[in-house]
Amino acid sequence: MNLLEMKGVSKIYGNVHALQNIDLIVEQGEWLAIMGPSGSGKTTMMNIVGCMDKASRGSVILHGVNISQESAKNLTAIRRDKIGLIFQQFHLINYLTALENVMVAQYYHSIPDEAEALRSLERVGLKDRAKHLPSQLSGGEQQRVCIARALINYPMLILADEPTGNLDEANEKIVLDILKQLHKEGSTIIVVTHDPEVADEAQRTVVLEHGKIARIVRNNKEV
Amino acid sequence: MLVALLAVAIGATVLSGMVTVYYDIPRQMGQEFRSYGANLILVSSGDNPALSIEETERAKEYFPAGSVVGVAPYRYKTAKINEQPFMIAGTELSEAKKASPYWFVNGGWPESAGEALIGQEVADTIRLLPGGSFTLTGTSTDGGSFTRDFSVSGIIQTGGTEEAFIFMSLEDLDNLIGAGAFDVVECSISATEAELNNIAAQISENVPGVAPRLVKRVTQSEGAVLAKLQSLVYLVTAVVLLLTMICVATTMMAVVAERRREIGLKKALGAANKSIINEFLGEGVFLGGLGGLLGVALGFVFAQFVSVNVFHRSITLQPMLIPATLIMSFIITGLACLAPVRSATDVDPAIVLRGE
Repeated sequence: MNLLEMKGVSKIYGNVHALQNIDLIVEQGEWLAIMGPSGSGKTTMMNIVGCMDKASRGSVILHGVNISQESAKNLTAIRRDKIGLIFQQFHLINYLTALENVMVAQYYHSIPDEAEALRSLERVGLKDRAKHLPSQLSGGEQQRVCIARALINYPMLILADEPTGNLDEANEKIVLDILKQLHKEGSTIIVVTHDPEVADEAQRTVVLEHGKIARIVRNNKEV
Repeated sequence: MLVALLAVAIGATVLSGMVTVYYDIPRQMGQEFRSYGANLILVSSGDNPALSIEETERAKEYFPAGSVVGVAPYRYKTAKINEQPFMIAGTELSEAKKASPYWFVNGGWPESAGEALIGQEVADTIRLLPGGSFTLTGTSTDGGSFTRDFSVSGIIQTGGTEEAFIFMSLEDLDNLIGAGAFDVVECSISATEAELNNIAAQISENVPGVAPRLVKRVTQSEGAVLAKLQSLVYLVTAVVLLLTMICVATTMMAVVAERRREIGLKKALGAANKSIINEFLGEGVFLGGLGGLLGVALGFVFAQFVSVNVFHRSITLQPMLIPATLIMSFIITGLACLAPVRSATDVDPAIVLRGE
C-alpha cells in the first residue's frame, strides 16, 4: 500500500526551480533515503512531504490526502497526527527536561502523559536521563530524545533530516540501530542524508541532482 | 520578561496613583481653597433687612454634613472713637477665624469680653497697637447711647476692606447696641461650584427670607483650577500608559524574536496558530495581572506620597480602583501583545528550523 505518492511535483522560488517534476511513491513500511549534493532539493522535498511547505505544481498524496491542496491549518493537523520529525540539530527546548521535551509533542497532539513519554524515552534507552536538561546530555542522547519525541504520537511516517549529521561514530550506530528497530516494527522512514553508510541501511535511495531525481538505488543496486 | 513586568507594574502604579489623586484632588484642593475665605453668602431677601437666628439655622440645615468649614454671622454698626466714625462688626470670632483663615492677625484673637480686633487702617488712624485701648461711643438700637472701653487684642491685615473694621464678639456688640438679627452670614463650605449652586437653590426654595449668593471669584476660579489639574493628571496618565504599552510591546517582540526557533519547533510539532496565540496572550495576561496587582499596591503608596507631600493630607483607598487598574493592565498588555503575537504566528517552521 502506498503511503506517499508524488506526481509531477515542482517547487519554484522566483526563478529557482528547487524541485522539478518529481514522481515518487513510498510504500507503507518502507525505508527510503534521499541523497544529493547541497542545493539539490532534498530539504525542499522533506518540507513538502513534512507539510511545512507546498508544491508549486503537481500533487502530493499522503495516506490518501492530497496535501498540496490543503490549507495551512489542515497541514499543521496532518503534521501533528501523521508525521514524526527528527532534526539534525535536535531542536530541543533548552529549559525543558528530556521528558518534558517529549511531552511537548504530546501536548500539541492530545494530552500529555508522563508514563507514556517515559516509555518512549525507555525505547531509545534514555529512561534514566528523563530529568536531565538538554545541556546535560551528549549529542547522541539529545538526538535520541528527538527520536523519542518523534515517536510519541505513533506517526505513520518518520522524516529524519540528517539524523546522524552531528554525531560521532558510536552515537551514529546507536541512532541507526534505533531506526532499524523502528523499521523492523513496521514504521515508514524517509531519511535525508549525505552519509552513504546511513543510506545503505535504507531499502531504496533516491539521489537528487538540481531538483530532479538523478537515479534510484534499491538494495544497493541501481534501478 | 522582567522588564515587561516592571513596565506594567510602573504603568499600573502611575494609573492607580494618578487616578486616586485625580478623584481626591477636588477634596484636597477644596480644602486648600477654603483658605481663600467664604464661598457662599447669606443675606436677607425679604422686607426685613436682616437675617434672624432662626432663618440662619434653617439655611444651615442644607449644608452637607462634614463639609462646613466655618459659618460666621455678622452684624454691622457704626460707632465713634474720638469722634471719628468707624464700622463695628460683631461676629462669632471662632467661626470667623475658620471662615477667613487668610486674615493675618498681628497680636492675638480676642479671648474675653472687652477685647477687639482692629483693622490695620483703623490702627493707623487712631495710632493703636496690640495691647492698647480705645473708647467706643455710639447709639444703640433702642435709641440710647453707649460708651465702653475696649482693649486691642490684635490688628488685622488682609489687604482688603476688613482693614477698615473693628471686630468684636457678637455678645459684646449685643451688649453695646442690643440683640438683633444678622446683616450677613459668610459661609465657607468644602464643595464644588455645582454643589454650591445646588445648596443655594435648595435654600432659596425652602427658606423664605434668605437669599444665598455664591462668591463667584472663589467658586469659579476654584472650578477652573480643578478642571485644569484633573486634565493634567489625565494627560500624564494617558502618556504613561502609552509608554507602558510601547515598552511591553517592544519587550514581547524581543521575546518572540528570541524564541523564534522554539515557536518554529512547536509549529513543526503540530502547534496550531491558536495555541501559539494563547501561549503568548496567556503570558501577557499573566504579566498584566501581576503587574496590575503590584501597581494597585504601589499606586496607593505613590498617591499617598503625592498627597502627603503636595497637599499635606492623607488619602483613602478607592476600592473600585483595584478592579479598574487590573482591567486596564489586562487591556494594555493585551493590546501590547497583539503585534508580537502576530509576529509569532508568522514564524515559518521550515525556515527557522533550517537556521535561516
